[in-house]
Amino acid sequence: MKRRYWILLGLLTALVPLGLLTDAPAWGEWDPEHYRKVLGFIPEGIARASEAKAPLPDYTVPGLGEISGYYLSALAGVLLLLGIYYLIYRMVRRG
Amino acid sequence: MHIPDGYLSPTTVAVSYAAALPLWVYGFRRLKATLDEETLPKLGAVTALSFVVMMFNIPIPGGTSGHAVGAALIAILFGPWVAAVAVSLVLLIQAVVFADGGISAFALNSLAMGYLGAFVGYGVFRALRRYRWAPFVAGWSSLVASSVLIAVVLGIQPIFWSAGGKPLYFPFGLEITIPALVGEHMLIFGVVEGIFTYAAYRFLTAKDRVEEPA
Repeated sequence: MKRRYWILLGLLTALVPLGLLTDAPAWGEWDPEHYRKVLGFIPEGIARASEAKAPLPDYTVPGLGEISGYYLSALAGVLLLLGIYYLIYRMVRRG
Repeated sequence: MHIPDGYLSPTTVAVSYAAALPLWVYGFRRLKATLDEETLPKLGAVTALSFVVMMFNIPIPGGTSGHAVGAALIAILFGPWVAAVAVSLVLLIQAVVFADGGISAFALNSLAMGYLGAFVGYGVFRALRRYRWAPFVAGWSSLVASSVLIAVVLGIQPIFWSAGGKPLYFPFGLEITIPALVGEHMLIFGVVEGIFTYAAYRFLTAKDRVEEPA
């Protein structure tokens, strides 16, 4: 039974570039410039929120192509989450 | 549905963190109680699955896109508290590592996609568990519920936080956010979430033809 969890995770991770078929943002998750176009101004709070600094912004890896960057981002996220669970598990066993 | 930084007034941010904090603390305790040799790999895999599923952006007419979340699936398999914390962890990684969803909006995103999504999905599944299609309805309701909370909180921003007639944060009111966000999740992304929840649940709970030795 455990095996099926890994099969499903592996399958979807392998298919993850399909997520790049569209570059349309989700509703509301627009670039600040979108507001200037639609409203004529950018709301103060949105203008003030500087682009967050993230190691892999928008699932891209600096220096890598779109698809390989997306793959690597998926892998990084998966490994990070598995790592966090393992740490919590170790913490529980010791406690 | 990942609200970015700058969309919510400081009051909204404060209220959402105050509401989420005790839920995270209690949920984390439940998560720790659930983790053992048996559940660690499964819960790890299904949480990572939620992260990956959110990367499948589905385009819809109108120039936007959306995706499934997986909260209902985790809730059905491991209970709503564990699922809510699992999705919160995913959202935290997305915000910190990938700048997907704001840090200031992390609490609200967790309340909507994590807590509300997990509890609605779990409740609907329990109520309908006699029926084969229960996971589909659970997934659909879960995502639609999340979108309602996000739409309401976004939609009240211009009502309460404007200066000189100009909204300071998210600018569109309820009359726009509710039909746009809830509508697209009822018609499309909720259906995708339902199919995902149904298919994954069937696959994960199916008996292997060759029984593994106990």
